[in-house]
Formats: sequence, structure tokens, C-alpha cells
Amino acid sequence: MNTEVSVLYFAKSAELTGLKAENITVPSNISSLQLWQHLETRHPSRLSVLRDQVVLALRQEYVPLGEQPLTLRDGDEVAVIPPLSGG
Amino acid sequence: MAADGGQDLITLTTDRLSADRVSESVTCPSCGAASLFIGTTRDNFEGKKVIRLKYEAYSPMAESELRKICHEIRTKWPSVRHINIQHRLGVVPITEASVVIGISSPHRRDSLEAVKYCIDTLKATVPIWKKEIYESGEPCWKENKECLWADAGKDPKQS
Repeated sequence: MNTEVSVLYFAKSAELTGLKAENITVPSNISSLQLWQHLETRHPSRLSVLRDQVVLALRQEYVPLGEQPLTLRDGDEVAVIPPLSGG
Repeated sequence: MAADGGQDLITLTTDRLSADRVSESVTCPSCGAASLFIGTTRDNFEGKKVIRLKYEAYSPMAESELRKICHEIRTKWPSVRHINIQHRLGVVPITEASVVIGISSPHRRDSLEAVKYCIDTLKATVPIWKKEIYESGEPCWKENKECLWADAGKDPKQS
């Protein structure tokens, strides 16, 4: 089953994609790694430079890139999180 | 928030931060100690002159992560009374404060330890990003070494 979620881009990822946000439609039980790969496909040759230094956030909780299936719901907010530099 | 009325104050703002106001906000009659951390922006990095910093945040999540830090502080140091964490966003001129943390407690050890824990954990977990703009050369998104998904091998130093 497909779900529509919003993806927020921050810092370097926003510069690479030229976007602050976009909506995507993906299977609801996709893994975080598959979701990342989907985003890479949407922005060819742009996001891949971040691949080893990025995590996602789903519903404001961090999710590393991995095989574990997420359980996406319509309207969920996903964020691309490059390495942090607060403080 | 502590059971006895201790407050967690969390602010993300583009306004200039005031260490005095943070310090005043955490004082209380039963506390013998208020500890303060002020993080300021340096004017140089690896020989390059930094002319400006720009901070960006995933604001709702930054606030929720800061609340988690306050909760962890109160679990580890139950005597802590008030916590005030302020982080500036947007453009921050050199030498101005980007973060101010104030924590009060009856005796000094707890507030000192809690402030250290607070800034260390903030750097590792709060979704805020800093971009350094140099006098010459490309701007650079910084990476905290505390952040688990930073590439420590490629980009040493930080903070």
C-alpha cells in the first residue's frame, strides 16, 4: 500500500536538492535505506554525496539508514538529517 | 519539568541572546548555584577568517530533543531546579553567543555537571546546523564530532 509523506531537507541536503520540502508517494513498509535510495533517485547525482553521513527523522525521531521496515502513514513527516552542528 | 515547579525553558530565536537574562531566569531562593555556559562564534577556522555564521534548525524536532535533554538532566541530577536553554538561529555575527545554557541547583556540583552534559548532548542530538562563511573560499556546513553520523575521518576538529 502506498502512502504520501512529506520530506524536509536541511542544511547541505537542502542546498544539494534546491528544496526545503517535497511530497513523495512510497510503499508504507519501505525501509529507511530504500526511502533514502528513492530520494537519491529523485535527485540524481546530488544527494549521493551524503549517503554515508546522513540519517533520517520520521515523526521527529531519528532513523539510521537500514533494512528495518518503517511504518509510514499518510501525512507523515520525514526529514533528511546531515551531520549536526548545533551548539 | 520537575514535580516541585522547576522549569524547563527552551528558546530558539533569531534575536541576540543574553546571558544575563538566562542567569536571572534560573535563579531561585533555594538554589546556591547557577551555572552558565555560553557558546560563542569564533572568527577563524584552520587559518581561514570566518566573517559570519548562519544557523538553521528543524525547529519542532530541535525543541523536542531539547526537552528530552532536560528530562535526562532531571533524572541524572534530581536536585536541579531550573533549566534554560537558548539557541540562536539565522545569522550570528562573530563573537556573539550562539547558545546559552543556564541551570540552577542547591549545590554547585549538580548544576556544573548538568551544564556540561547539556551542551555535550545538544551537540550530539539536536537538529541544528551551522554554516561558516569565510572571507575567501566556499562556505562550509560544519559537523560536530559528537554527532554519530558525522564523518570523523574526513573532517576533524569542530566545536
